[in-house]
Amino acid sequence: MTRTRRRASNEPVLGARRLRRKYDDLIALGPLDLRIEPGELVALVGANGAGKTTLLAIAGGLVEPSDGTLDICGDPAGSLPARARTSFVPDTPVFYQDLSLNEHLEYIARMHGADGWASRASELLEQLGLAQWGDKLPSQFSRGMRQKASLAMGFIRPFSLLLADEPFDGLDPPSRSVLVELLRSASASGAAVIVSTHRAEVADLSDRCIALHDGELVYDGPADRSVIAGHLPPQEDALPAVDQP
Amino acid sequence: MESLYRLYLGVIFGGWGLALISGALADLRVDRHTVQEIHRHGAAGVGLLVAVAVAGGLRSGARGGPLVLEAADVQHVLLAPIDRGAALRGLAVRRLRSSAFVGLVAGVIAGNFAFRRLPGPTAQWLLFGGVFGAAVAVWALAAALIASGRRMHRTAAWLVGVLIVGWSVADLAGRRVSSPASMLGELALWPMHRASDSVGLPAAGLGIVGLAAVLGLAGLGGISLDAAQRRAGLAAQLRFAVTTQDLRAIILLRRQLASELPRRRTWLRLAASDGQHGAVWMRDWRSFLRWPLVRIARVCVLGALAGLALLGAWRGTTPLVLVASLAVMVAAFDAVEPIGQEVDHPTRLALLPVGAREVIRRHLLAPAVLMAGVLLIAVGAAIAAGAPADLVGVLVVMVLPTAGLSLYCAALSVTNDPFAYVLAPAIGYLQTGVPVALLIIGVSGPVILARAAARHGTAAVAASVPSELVVLLICWGLNSWLGHRIASRVTS
Repeated sequence: MTRTRRRASNEPVLGARRLRRKYDDLIALGPLDLRIEPGELVALVGANGAGKTTLLAIAGGLVEPSDGTLDICGDPAGSLPARARTSFVPDTPVFYQDLSLNEHLEYIARMHGADGWASRASELLEQLGLAQWGDKLPSQFSRGMRQKASLAMGFIRPFSLLLADEPFDGLDPPSRSVLVELLRSASASGAAVIVSTHRAEVADLSDRCIALHDGELVYDGPADRSVIAGHLPPQEDALPAVDQP
Repeated sequence: MESLYRLYLGVIFGGWGLALISGALADLRVDRHTVQEIHRHGAAGVGLLVAVAVAGGLRSGARGGPLVLEAADVQHVLLAPIDRGAALRGLAVRRLRSSAFVGLVAGVIAGNFAFRRLPGPTAQWLLFGGVFGAAVAVWALAAALIASGRRMHRTAAWLVGVLIVGWSVADLAGRRVSSPASMLGELALWPMHRASDSVGLPAAGLGIVGLAAVLGLAGLGGISLDAAQRRAGLAAQLRFAVTTQDLRAIILLRRQLASELPRRRTWLRLAASDGQHGAVWMRDWRSFLRWPLVRIARVCVLGALAGLALLGAWRGTTPLVLVASLAVMVAAFDAVEPIGQEVDHPTRLALLPVGAREVIRRHLLAPAVLMAGVLLIAVGAAIAAGAPADLVGVLVVMVLPTAGLSLYCAALSVTNDPFAYVLAPAIGYLQTGVPVALLIIGVSGPVILARAAARHGTAAVAASVPSELVVLLICWGLNSWLGHRIASRVTS
């Protein structure tokens, strides 16, 4: 089970004040005020370009805000204490070319001071259907397997805040179910979880929904499929019809 | 084209500079005993180097080399209903011509060093050096063309390469000239030939090179389109990386072109352990334990080459310190691979709960041990080749400071931001050149000073110690530079 670190009382896990990020003249995010508490499982929704990835990247310490602040358990995002508390699963998996999946898990777990990581790694790989692939280089993996390996790297280490950017993309249905269980379990153990998604069904597992549109907060409240769907582009399972000659 | 033009200028001016340096250093001429040794083993010894080059060509050809086409040419020309051999012939001839030119210049430079120490007319050393260099380059390239045109399997290419190298080793052991590679070796040493030596052997060597070139050109049409397409994409990226002096990208793309990828199975399974302490150390050794055999062999050979080159410099051919320095530098590029991986993946580095400078500092430990091992191979090679006790002492003193210096220089080179000085290319060249220059100074300085001390009858090892202290001071300065660069690259 994922361990979380101690934090000061009354501090939100994620607290943003007047947070804004600009790219030249384009305002990608904000201004945004946000407070996310321990144990909350939040669906972050919005169309492409809404600012979801920018918000997660700022929280993960990968991008600096143009204005305002974003703190993780009271420490500025990107600072060493904040990095120790934040696990970030990017939308595009990132792997070293010279390490196997097991070696990735060991390196990340040990760098974050996770003791007894080996049994957790076996458990995660088993759950995600990667047990036979631990000794392989991720460069040999298919897209879905890379995504699952990236998830294992996100869950192998202790965290108070999990940021998952489109984690369901590329996963087959059984793996999506496993991910739902992992997210619920992380939330139940006291970690705050933010899942950026295009999928309305994420409402079923979320406590709260935050919707962004053109970088602005347009909804923050209970998660509900219809509410989430209202803030997403129309979703159709079938491909557009092609006119027959 | 601009890169090729720069290379062309570099070869011309570099060769001219080396000629001036070698003239200014007034290297010593070899004694009669050494001349006799060269007569006995020289041709086969040089032939062994030729055989290795040809084996390398076969290996490259079996992996789809050496021709590099534009992706559009693969799509539109090679898929068109025309003879592929005819379509590729012009490109192959141009490659042969440019390789012959580079080989010729390299051979003339080698001849320029040789005539200062060996008996024989100067003009002949330059002439035969040039012809030899061109012939070796053409033969290696022709071997690659034959292997790619005939779709030679990698194992078959490896076996043929082993056969060619083995034949040269047998020649070396038996003090005879029977292999085609040894025949070319005879050509290289022709300026010091004796009356009893037959002109037929070097002529036969040249004939074999010509035959190989004809065979290579004749079988061009069999080239693998899959490999051609893959190489087209990689080569386009490589050209851009060379233009921007992005050394890390060049290393990665070259490895992909040569199919030199990490092993799927580790050479040795290390036990897993807990705790942050030692995590980077273990990660780095896990990286080294996935090195492909060719990289291990290259690093060992570079270590041995550095040792032999320093021995040659000690005995009088001073410019060989450059060869030693460059061999150490290339080995260090492989040793700093874990640092390269961190810089390639700044997202991972930025997410670690440890400062980037600290992570990189920890990443220097395992490579330092590795480089110390490489430099001990250099010491071993020098001892095996008959290095005097004075030189062995100097080399032992050099091991740790040189390991550190080479790592810092390589780490600075692979962490260059290629776009930082796009608008001020002079600064970019300086940024690329300074680490190489520092390593040359750090390797050559102690050896040259110690050699001067030995020639004046004073203790060579003691003379090298102060210069090694200077090397350590340089390492300290480079450590700050590296830390600053990593911090700026990760936060940017």
